[in-house]
Amino acid sequence: MKQWLILLSLCCLSSAVIAGPPVIEIEIKDHLFFPDEVRIPADTKVKLLVKNLDPTAEEFESYELNREKVIAGHSEAIIFIGPLSAGEYPFFGEFFPKTAQGKVIAE
Amino acid sequence: MKSIRLFLLLSLLATITLVNFVALLHGYQSSMEKAQSLFDSRLESTARLIASANSEQTMRQGIAEQQTPFTYFQIWDSGGKQLLTRSRNAPEFVTGALTEGFHEVNFDSYRWRNYVYRDQHLNRWIVVAERIDVRYSLAEEVVLESLLPIVIAIPIAALIIWLAVGIGLKPLRQFADQVLGKRADDLSPIQLEKVPHELVTVVSNTNALLGRLDHAFQREQRFASDAAHELRTPISVLKVHLHNLKQRLGDDDEDITLLKTGIERMGHLVEQILALYRTSPDQASARFESVDLYKLAQTVIASDFLQFERKQQHISLDGETAILSGNRFALETLLQNLLSNANKYTPPGGEIHVIVKPFQDGVQLIVEDSGPGIPADQHERVFERFYRFQGDRHDSGELGCGLGLTIVSHIVELHHATIRLGTSSLGKGLAVTIHFPGEK
Amino acid sequence: MLLNAVIIILREVLEAALIISVFLALSQLLNRNLWWMLLALLVGFSGATVYALNLSQISMAMEGTGQEVLNAVLHSVIFISLLIFMISVPHQAHAKWRQLNLVTIVLAVITAIIREGSEIILYITGFFGIPDLLSPVLMGSAVGAGIGLSVGVFFYYLLVNMRTSYGIWLGYLILLLIGGSMVAQAVEFMIQADYIAASAPVWDSSAIISERSAAGQLLYALVGYEATPAPEQAAAYFSSIGLLIVAAGISFMFRGKTS
Repeated sequence: MKQWLILLSLCCLSSAVIAGPPVIEIEIKDHLFFPDEVRIPADTKVKLLVKNLDPTAEEFESYELNREKVIAGHSEAIIFIGPLSAGEYPFFGEFFPKTAQGKVIAE
Repeated sequence: MKSIRLFLLLSLLATITLVNFVALLHGYQSSMEKAQSLFDSRLESTARLIASANSEQTMRQGIAEQQTPFTYFQIWDSGGKQLLTRSRNAPEFVTGALTEGFHEVNFDSYRWRNYVYRDQHLNRWIVVAERIDVRYSLAEEVVLESLLPIVIAIPIAALIIWLAVGIGLKPLRQFADQVLGKRADDLSPIQLEKVPHELVTVVSNTNALLGRLDHAFQREQRFASDAAHELRTPISVLKVHLHNLKQRLGDDDEDITLLKTGIERMGHLVEQILALYRTSPDQASARFESVDLYKLAQTVIASDFLQFERKQQHISLDGETAILSGNRFALETLLQNLLSNANKYTPPGGEIHVIVKPFQDGVQLIVEDSGPGIPADQHERVFERFYRFQGDRHDSGELGCGLGLTIVSHIVELHHATIRLGTSSLGKGLAVTIHFPGEK
Repeated sequence: MLLNAVIIILREVLEAALIISVFLALSQLLNRNLWWMLLALLVGFSGATVYALNLSQISMAMEGTGQEVLNAVLHSVIFISLLIFMISVPHQAHAKWRQLNLVTIVLAVITAIIREGSEIILYITGFFGIPDLLSPVLMGSAVGAGIGLSVGVFFYYLLVNMRTSYGIWLGYLILLLIGGSMVAQAVEFMIQADYIAASAPVWDSSAIISERSAAGQLLYALVGYEATPAPEQAAAYFSSIGLLIVAAGISFMFRGKTS
């Protein structure tokens, strides 16, 4: 039983190392998020790749996710989120919050 | 708190900024809300207008000419399955939900606010949308125009507060300047052009204090010099009687010698007290003239030569002609006192060295002796009135009244000179260095 | 746009103004001269500009986690400066300690300005290409900076005009809270960069005080409030405050013995 557990945990560890968390791409264009709804599996760590196609900087911010990251114009950034319990987690672009709105849905 | 002016400026400015800006934000928000609801009601009436303009039962499907790129409309059948008509820039799908009311949607890389209106008679949905950023910046432009003066007013307010506080604090500054600019002997009352309420007690109390000080000062001076002056006559009378007594009892009576020393000491004290008050800087009515200090030193040494010879001391004068502007009598007293000190505290057979020379566009006077000197920690105290180093138990056994160096320091002050006590180059004795500044 | 600019600038300015005003007041209470502040401001703004200009390179460094790591480092530097500052205050009589004390203040102020200033610079310069939005953004920035600086001024004069002992205590208290919040933010960045594994929040107080609300924003600036903190964050917050208290206390007890 014990050996099984060790083996299992080793498997988990190696698979995590090899594959890494799933990557989800989000684009910022004209101060809007595309897509503005990101569906991710619950209780899993996810890597968000946010590409800012605008010339202006944007700050990806979410109070619910406890994330904030400034993304310079014409560049991209990586943000890790989760593992999250099922639910909705809104995020927004702090520099253009009127338009740049979106949410992560964990399910 | 370092500066009242800065404190008042910053705290007033911070208050004004805070109050104004919070009011500004409040005004901005309510204006924007008002503007949004105006835009919303316009959207509603546009939807009704479109509904009434397209009131035929059967509609030709197609695209209507549009007026502006910032708005679009769609007309859907009751199920939302068929798009009956739309403006050219409108999408061919349902944006948002077909429920009556306002919705916000993303489309064509903009965010739109749409109003969905249900035409009850024809069972149709009319969707009218406006670009949010456009209506927002339209409203903002108008609102900002009205709020800009509040922001511009802040630096102007800062300037005005700075000046006003400066004017308000002017009497305080004048008061401080007058107190600061007062000479040590100037005890005249402080006069301000206008005395504000807050300063009345400060000014009147300061002036009362100055008055009392002046009074006490004058009384002390008058008393000391009067007393000294009055004592001169009885001392002269005593001297005459002593002379008579000596004639009668002979020169070698021990009591007569002791009496003579006592009377001489008293006479010296009285002369010193008089010199002290005549030379004190508060009596600064002294007349200044051109004095050659070197020549004066020669004269003084010559007239006091006897006392040095009595102790077999070797006295030398070095230097050259050194002209300074000063009071002849005072400078003479200064030299006499310094030389008399050197004479007293240098043991018999010792050496005394006087140097007078021009130095850094002034004149330098140095009196050195080969006596025991004064320790550095006593240098301040020896200038005090009636203070004698080691008291009357001084090794030299010399009599003195402790006024010599006080008089010297008064004369130094009178000439705006500086005095420094140090160690003599003739062993461990005292070196007194006085620097008289040049004429300005 | 205006309101948004106000909030962004106010948040950054308020945080920097709080640190600077508390340090200024404490320097004043400890009879130090204030010329160093000018130097610190100058260096800080230069640093902030350099950071802002090189943001994308910094972000891409260290497999895309450069920004988080740098921010975590900046927050840690502020915390360490605070720690050494608090330790050095009781030994003001010694020239060496006094010098160290000044260095920590200057370092903390410079770092705070780099961290908060770079975001301000990035935000405002982004609008230079959008003339329509520039004027509301500039006006909003002016309003936000005005409010933030005014609060800083009030704080400074409040501390300076209090009885000296109370002023120092209140100043210390604020520094403790700032210290805790700095470490909590550093940990948050390490979680975001996946150097520390994330776990579920310890509590969720967003229903009581949302981080979006004005009260939430103010509490964030003052005490580093988080509505849904990770357990690591909360632990870091409280243990760093504890560390500051213990270090300052020990240093205070030994203040006579170093002479």
